[in-house]
Amino acid sequence: MSHFFPEVLAPAGSLDKLKVAVLYGANAVYVGGQKFGLRTAADNFTLDELREGVNFAHDRGAQVYVVLNSFLHDKDLSELPDFVNFLNEIKVDAVIVSDLGVVKTVSSLSSIPIHISTQASTLNVEAAKLWKSMGATRVVVGRELSVKEAGKIKREANIEVEMFIHGSMCMAYSGHCVISNFTQGRDSNRGGCAHSCRFEYSLDMGLDTEEKKKAFFMSSKDLEGLRILPEFINEGIDSLKIEGRMKSHLYAGTMSKVYTEALAYYREHGNFLSDDLLYWESELKKVSHRAYTNASLVEAAGTDSIFNERENTETEWQMAGTVIEASPKSGIVIEVRNAFNQGDELEILPFKGQAITIVAREITDIMMKPVARTRPSTLIKLPYQNGVESLHLIRQKVKV
Amino acid sequence: MKLTTFAQSLNDLNLIKDQGLQEVILGHQDFSRFGKLKTEDFFEFSKRAKELGLKVIFEWDILMTENTFAKLALEIVPLLDSFDSLRVQDPGALEWGLKNTTKPLQFIAENGNHNLPGLQGWIDHVQGRMERIALSIELPKIKIEEYCKILKVPCELLGLGRILLFYTPRQLLSPLSEDKLSFNQEISAIGESEESPHKGFPIIENRHGTFMFHIKDFCLVDFANELKSLGLGFFRIDLRFSAFDQLKEIKALTEDFNEDSFIEFKEKYPQDLMRGFYLVNKTDVLFPKLKNHRLQSREGNYLGEVLEAEKGSHLAIFVKNFKGLRKSDKLKIVHPKGEVFEALIYSLRNLSLEEVDYIEPQKTALIQFVGGVWVKSHVFYQHP
Repeated sequence: MSHFFPEVLAPAGSLDKLKVAVLYGANAVYVGGQKFGLRTAADNFTLDELREGVNFAHDRGAQVYVVLNSFLHDKDLSELPDFVNFLNEIKVDAVIVSDLGVVKTVSSLSSIPIHISTQASTLNVEAAKLWKSMGATRVVVGRELSVKEAGKIKREANIEVEMFIHGSMCMAYSGHCVISNFTQGRDSNRGGCAHSCRFEYSLDMGLDTEEKKKAFFMSSKDLEGLRILPEFINEGIDSLKIEGRMKSHLYAGTMSKVYTEALAYYREHGNFLSDDLLYWESELKKVSHRAYTNASLVEAAGTDSIFNERENTETEWQMAGTVIEASPKSGIVIEVRNAFNQGDELEILPFKGQAITIVAREITDIMMKPVARTRPSTLIKLPYQNGVESLHLIRQKVKV
Repeated sequence: MKLTTFAQSLNDLNLIKDQGLQEVILGHQDFSRFGKLKTEDFFEFSKRAKELGLKVIFEWDILMTENTFAKLALEIVPLLDSFDSLRVQDPGALEWGLKNTTKPLQFIAENGNHNLPGLQGWIDHVQGRMERIALSIELPKIKIEEYCKILKVPCELLGLGRILLFYTPRQLLSPLSEDKLSFNQEISAIGESEESPHKGFPIIENRHGTFMFHIKDFCLVDFANELKSLGLGFFRIDLRFSAFDQLKEIKALTEDFNEDSFIEFKEKYPQDLMRGFYLVNKTDVLFPKLKNHRLQSREGNYLGEVLEAEKGSHLAIFVKNFKGLRKSDKLKIVHPKGEVFEALIYSLRNLSLEEVDYIEPQKTALIQFVGGVWVKSHVFYQHP
């Protein structure tokens, strides 16, 4: 059995999500500042929040990587040095970069480790060697690679390798789609992606009839690699990346928890029991997602990796709220995200271990008046229960 | 400025020679996205091109995952004597060409590569072997001019041809086809979406994946003289999806531009034409509108966020600042829509409803209700 275990790298679109991901077990998080990343519409971090996020993560043994993975134009690049100097000062653990100009800028100003973003579509040993010679310490390989190919890249290029294990996927080679640039005037590779690949298209395929095929033909299913974890470990993949800086707290927490717990189980037992796998898979299904595929992790993605459905936000489970304080004195204080009723069954997700199921029998508002039905964006209290802590996430099965 | 183009038939080679071009790009079916030449065809085309005195450029623009790369890179070796320059897009192919051949290298830097240090970096990396660099069509002319002047190798730009919008190795059309397709068969379609204002995207699926193009082709033929004066080295004419004999008209237009002839040319050309971002690239101007402005205002004296606003009763503020919140603090509260309220705290309680003088960071404070303030309002200290 291999003694090497990869890190779980979780997305953190905001400081709150960083805390959630770290507390739920992520070994590292990746975050974006207000510029230079690919999620223009995300919360992203202010400078103060970056500093606090790095301190929070480091205090708990986790690392913070900052995305600088836009394809920067000269004018953007001129604004980069101040930010790089700041990242150096607050001791971020790495930057994630896709553009050679950014690699050159970062390496000329700092010794911050450079990870080559998946946007650079590093697909083979030679490309990894090239990036290594440019100063990169890690490549986030393209999602078109199998785990075995990625392992070969690690061994032959002698560089750290990071692979996506979970989340939404570009259908195109990352960094090789400019639909938004030319159809919406938004540079997809500087954070303006309009997700045109998720649209429904009518396709005239030259058939004799007038009929056009309607299909979401460019929409990919979501990646899910839980069952392939042993292969990631055996191939020595350094980091397992979870996509989704724009996604919810529940997503950041659940993904961090499931993958770190699965890895810890494997570390202890050297195998997975089917019951545990089924449990973790059921947990992954409790967050909003498209149909899952293992895409190219084992062999090149086939036609069954196409989602071909309209996007929807329907989920079986939803986030009920977040615990903001829990003590015998104050009770469990919850910031409500989605309404629930007195008597409803809720699941509180502890940072480790199985969910705690409770029935919301006694709900009060913050001033201790009884509440029959909670409202989003309000605070409510439940009686204190041992083991419940601040930032625990609470979910509820959606009633049909 | 020289013209360069692709040949897909032996007749194309003759026309290229007749038009006075000095080189040809050949696409082998295993290495070029739209290449159709088998190895034996490649040898024949190469031989013929050399007889015509044309320089032969071998195009390797397919992005290859490791297993394919390792296998196919070896297959270039027997072809090495049949071409003069190796033209690549994948940095891995560039590295392979650098280490395993002595050929001059051409780098297709059309994907991203919108800054000078990056472009210079590719050139420096291959240590004098870079023969040419193909620039992105997203660059405006001011940048093309700058790069042509500063970079020490000739620059190339697409002058006419399809605009590739999307490239995936996955086969996206064949699942929709009713026919069973053979390995080498190509499928094409024209796509449109109600969610996009554009109609008529050409889409091709071949053995290398699926490619979607813009509804209009890219054309700078009417700017050829200007590009020449900017110092552009090579002007690429890609007629792989249209009639190759239009090369004659294009050559004439690039040498002696004539508006009437250009109008006539455009009428015959199978697609509408556009100049893309040649005059200006403003693909980042919409970004401020994508941002939530409220989220940008958390620098400085940011204290925290309003979690609950109960009219006539209280505001619950989650204290994020390391300084915490004191009863004497004066607050500035910014409503999600931007309206600003000021408040001097006279009631401060914790979540156990105890009156306190101080709330520590990462805890929630209850203060008196401030009219007009909503949940998600941002709270700042008025003092530094």
